Amino acid sequence: MDNGMEGMLDTYLFETNSLLDQLDEMLVKDEKIGEFSSDDVNEIFRIMHTIKGSSAMMEFGSLASIAHHIEDLFFYIRDKGIDSLDPAHKKELFNLMFRSEDCLRGQVEKVENGVPLDTDMDDFATEINNFLKKISGAATEEPEPERTESPAAAGGMSADHLPEDKDAVCFLHVFLDEGIGMENLRAFMIVNALKECEVEFRHYPADMDSNSETTAIIVEDGFYLAFTDGDMATKAEDILKSQGHIRSYELVMAPQPEPEPQKDTTQGPAAPASQPAAPTPKDNPQKAPVNAPVKQNLISVNLVKLNDLLDIVGEIVITESMVTSSPELGQLSRDSYDNFMKSARQLRKLTDDLQDLAMSLRMVPISGVFQKMNRIVRDMKQKLGKDVRLTLVGEDTEVDKTIVDSIQDPIMHMVRNSMDHGIEDTSEERVTAGKNPQGEIILSASHTSNEVIISIADDGKGMNPDTILAKAREKGILVKPESEYTKKEALGLIMLPGFSTNQTVTEFSGRGVGMDVVKKNVESVGGVVSLNSEEGKGTTFSIKIPLTLSIMDGMKVTVGRSIFTIPIANIRQSFKISEEEVIYDENGNEMVERIGGFYPIVRLHQFYGISTEITNLAEGILIWVETSDHSFCLFVDDLIGEQQVVVKPFPAFLNCYELKNYGIGGCTILGDGNISIILDIMSLHVAALENV
Amino acid sequence: MSEQMNQQEDIQEVLEKEELSTVERCLTFESGNLILYISTKHVIEILHNVSSSITTLPLVPSYIKGIINLRGQILPVVDIQMRMGKCETEYTSETCVIVLDIDSVSIGIIVDSVRQVIDIDLKDVQPIPLKRQQKLLDGMVTMADGSVFMSVDCQALAQNQLQNDMGVI
Repeated sequence: MDNGMEGMLDTYLFETNSLLDQLDEMLVKDEKIGEFSSDDVNEIFRIMHTIKGSSAMMEFGSLASIAHHIEDLFFYIRDKGIDSLDPAHKKELFNLMFRSEDCLRGQVEKVENGVPLDTDMDDFATEINNFLKKISGAATEEPEPERTESPAAAGGMSADHLPEDKDAVCFLHVFLDEGIGMENLRAFMIVNALKECEVEFRHYPADMDSNSETTAIIVEDGFYLAFTDGDMATKAEDILKSQGHIRSYELVMAPQPEPEPQKDTTQGPAAPASQPAAPTPKDNPQKAPVNAPVKQNLISVNLVKLNDLLDIVGEIVITESMVTSSPELGQLSRDSYDNFMKSARQLRKLTDDLQDLAMSLRMVPISGVFQKMNRIVRDMKQKLGKDVRLTLVGEDTEVDKTIVDSIQDPIMHMVRNSMDHGIEDTSEERVTAGKNPQGEIILSASHTSNEVIISIADDGKGMNPDTILAKAREKGILVKPESEYTKKEALGLIMLPGFSTNQTVTEFSGRGVGMDVVKKNVESVGGVVSLNSEEGKGTTFSIKIPLTLSIMDGMKVTVGRSIFTIPIANIRQSFKISEEEVIYDENGNEMVERIGGFYPIVRLHQFYGISTEITNLAEGILIWVETSDHSFCLFVDDLIGEQQVVVKPFPAFLNCYELKNYGIGGCTILGDGNISIILDIMSLHVAALENV
Repeated sequence: MSEQMNQQEDIQEVLEKEELSTVERCLTFESGNLILYISTKHVIEILHNVSSSITTLPLVPSYIKGIINLRGQILPVVDIQMRMGKCETEYTSETCVIVLDIDSVSIGIIVDSVRQVIDIDLKDVQPIPLKRQQKLLDGMVTMADGSVFMSVDCQALAQNQLQNDMGVI
């Protein structure tokens, strides 16, 4: 596949996925009120039409086929008005739509993974058709197999100027091959051929045989055959297939469809070059403006380019400070120095703005992830028979794109957990406990200065620390006597590998992967999971994640000649101690007491084998750091200061040394062009204190 | 006289063989009294006076001198002499870093000095007839003036295996 095709595929996937997201959001919203608004019906129709067109263009037959059938269905619904459906049908329609969406998504996923698509979509298509029949009460029809449309025919068809013909039920819109010459006469020949076969119709332009000016019209817009009878049209189509020079043709309903238009839209298998006889949305000219896609002021950009941009911006910021702090400036005369500094300040302001802007480009609202939870809650509600309401708070909170992608699964898992284990099994239980019979899950997101906090709170039965302890004992994952566990520690047990509080494995949660996976996923993007549960009142999970992974506030410290950067988010305090304050254990390991707790001391110079003159604890400085649940002190030579740093990964060449497992998270280029190593406190703790 | 004749013949030979394209353009450099060469297709650039700006890394073998900031790109730097198992030598003003790109792995090697670019006929390259632990050189060639140049095995250099980790602190 050449590049152009790759680009098209990217665009196609992006477009189709966002359309499906849009559809999903709409369906979930509409199902809550149990009603499709007519705007939404139009919108679904438009979405399906777009998916059909683009899928056919990309030659994804199964996608085009499903979309086509749904389009048919919604054509009917739009035509009749949504109110013509009785509630039972509506409910069925919702289920059908959700399943269609899943089906489409399944196919799109296959496209993404480069797996061949299912070729046989007839079963599902028949189902949609049957439903259509049910609601329309129409006579039995054949499920129609789908063909691919020719690319040219997919978009450009314009039926806006259907010829005036009051009696016509439908039109055949015929296009001739390009550049064959004498189009009007060729068209007339086709018309004659049809007439010979005893088909009754009228043709437009009517004077194509005598008026050579019609050539241009036929080249541009093709020509129309008007039928008063649907059967005639079908017959004519068959004949058209045998005619030469026809590029494509399309069956178009007259602007005021007769009661049985659906029947007319079907046709037998046609030649591959022909267009499916789908009613296009354009056959309703007065509605066209409503359906026209709103022009968006958005463009989609390849993430790689964006990352490159960010890198370059980072370089500019660093280079700028290298230039402005260059020692050669001292040789300038006072006046020129002042002038220089004036311009330098201007430059700094601009580069700061540029950096902020570039950073904001990667930020996307979290709503995409949140909206997907609606669907999960909806599905589980039906399967589990629980009545639960999902409330979303702070959907427009913006988070780095990488983070959004990596927290979707953890959030999904936790929402499922809350649905499955959190909320009481029956509404009676809830009423007995004095709660609203409808359960509630609140999914919220908010910002602090450098973190995003996402919480998933349910008002269900909550967790009992004793039950958890008993379960943990059963699993043999307790590390100290049961009585010594605090409530917080007991709750924390559920995040250990191999723990799942539900006795039975359900479809949704408890598949052996549990909260430990959630915890791991969140930690992989530098986040922390915590949980709080009040028995009988509910459980709240909170995830704290840094706003962005690529830039952070760091504290620069020196050890010997090396400069390390410690993430500010991990630092609790820095302080000096005297010899007397150091406490030793039986192996001579050093500890220090701080605010009522004892913390081990890790000497960075010792751990990394760096030679330094400052080896006396009293001479250097201690930095008290903490990660999710570990806290310890680092001994370093000196503090240099705080700086915002752009995190760069280590070159691949060094991967085999697994520096990441030894507390080295990455590196950054300092203002003077030197490199500083960024410490990863979590893995440092593991390497320095746990694996001794 | 005869030497000159020889050289001329050699040049002619080289020219003839260039047509058969077994001749490769190579950069020669010195490291620890050896003259080494590496194909120019791997060479990106040569940096001078960088030894002071190398950031040392903990927990890596001593032959990995550290990383440098090459216009925003983080470049690992290997002392090729130490990589061959020899002792560290003082860096002089001649010392420079050759930036290589080997199958899109970027790496810099510290060498004593860079000589010149010459054409080497790959057909003349012979294997090194010794069994060694540090397999960094994979061929040798005798030049017209009698000097012996050795070929650096780029793959071995790039695939930085953990084999000789005795250098770890």
